[in-house]
Amino acid sequence: MARTSNSGKGSFTVGAGAGFAGDRIEPAVEMARSGEVDAIALECLAERTLVNAIRTREANPNAGYDPRLRRRFTPLLPHVGPRCRVVTNLGAAHPLAAAHATAALARELGRGDLRIAAVVGDDVRDRVQDVQWTQTCDDGEWIGAHVYLGLDPMLAALDEGADVVITGRVADSSLVAAAPVQALGLADASLASALTIGHLLECSGQLTGGNLTEPGVADLAGDALTYIGYPIADIGAHGSTATIRLLPNRSGRLNVVSCTLQLLYEVHDPAAYVTPDAVLDFTDVAFEQVAQNRVVVSGMRASARPERLKVIGFLARRGLIADIELAYSGTGALGRAQLAADVLRTRLPRELGVADFIVDLVGVNSVLGAGALPLRCEPPELRVHVSAQCADADLAQAVEDEVYALTISGPAGGGSVRSERRGRVESITGFLPRDAVKPRIEWARAS
Amino acid sequence: MRIGDIAAGRAGDKGDVLDLTLVAYDDAHYAKLCRLVTPEEAARAMNRVAPGPVVRYELPKLRALKFVAPQALPGGVHASLRAGLHWQKAAIWLLLDYEVNGD
Repeated sequence: MARTSNSGKGSFTVGAGAGFAGDRIEPAVEMARSGEVDAIALECLAERTLVNAIRTREANPNAGYDPRLRRRFTPLLPHVGPRCRVVTNLGAAHPLAAAHATAALARELGRGDLRIAAVVGDDVRDRVQDVQWTQTCDDGEWIGAHVYLGLDPMLAALDEGADVVITGRVADSSLVAAAPVQALGLADASLASALTIGHLLECSGQLTGGNLTEPGVADLAGDALTYIGYPIADIGAHGSTATIRLLPNRSGRLNVVSCTLQLLYEVHDPAAYVTPDAVLDFTDVAFEQVAQNRVVVSGMRASARPERLKVIGFLARRGLIADIELAYSGTGALGRAQLAADVLRTRLPRELGVADFIVDLVGVNSVLGAGALPLRCEPPELRVHVSAQCADADLAQAVEDEVYALTISGPAGGGSVRSERRGRVESITGFLPRDAVKPRIEWARAS
Repeated sequence: MRIGDIAAGRAGDKGDVLDLTLVAYDDAHYAKLCRLVTPEEAARAMNRVAPGPVVRYELPKLRALKFVAPQALPGGVHASLRAGLHWQKAAIWLLLDYEVNGD
């Protein structure tokens, strides 16, 4: 069917309302209320959140989508419709259940008119034997495998009139690009702009001043940081240029550097960024600052889409990681923390037989290890951190107990213990031939 | 010279792969980055924490350098023994705070 721009202004405006599952709620609501945005993409799915969703679905066949669905959609759905559509991957491990839950919420909100589609077919757990994995996977249990879907099923849902499209694992760039590609009828070479814009926008505030420090320039602070605007992009009808900007009432720092950093973020070969819909070449992309917080992007290029699709598989290895901290403060805190660390370095292997562990100091070297800056003065407070690879929960408990024992039998004044445990789930990359993947649309129940 | 005095940067990760980006503000600083932050120098900075080889991509039009370390994060996010999750977001400071000889 012929596609026309919703906006009737020869371009299409898409906003990034969320860049990860826990992202803020109000930026998308503001975009929807503004009347300036034709579609909002909500990117809410990462490796970590997909693993959680798979586990949740195992326990409850009607769950497995982002548990923040109600919180995110309750203020948003009243402003959604054919003139402001939503495309989101918050369906996680169960997009159809998410679509039904969204439809139920829409009725509660008096928006039973909304057409809500689920994109399914990314779950390939029952075909892990067919996947060409990039490393050996003989040790552990597959808990899930999802193929990165591209534009096609999202375009089909939008063509059929979906106001809300809910997916599981799709490529982030394609998620953001879907609505402009559908509305502007982009294809082949002109896909490059929408997909590149999709890649730029998918991390929300990271394009507009978040996670940014520039030499010789004061960092964003105060309200400009606290209420940082998320990016929106006007994509031209022919797809050769786009303008990235903020809503008029929002602040941030959207400039050539913020755009360049995000263009190359999590990219390996910048001449060949592989998406399901095209291989993008970023080497000729140019950014031009045309006004404050307004950047024009050009030079996007792409070549044909790949014939195989990327799969992310999750392999649960045996055992778990115990991650525990204990704080010291007051005069001599550093020396006492170092003594506590020494005790753990002796007792964990000798008394518990723990072989794979690290002990370090939060506030000194727990993040960058040997790459941390040297200590310039003694911190007034700091934490001893230990992480240990444990064969089972009993050993994890024993490690935690060793840390707690320091509060009475260790250096003076140890306390404020915190403890967490996490499973050892490894992410493994693989590939499936494109024609082996059959995504399809399902509509949320009308009642 | 401290690299972060002439460049902005950001770290990213996918599975086992750590990627670091540096962006210069003008062509002169970009040329200096290319000359001083060789793949070998970047590997020295990164290997203090993240193991394995480092590949460098040059992007003259964007005045950017891309450093990719394919074996830097064995097992990915969930296998790390570092405190909490996603320590690698801070890995850009391995380069920004690194001192290189030359001007």
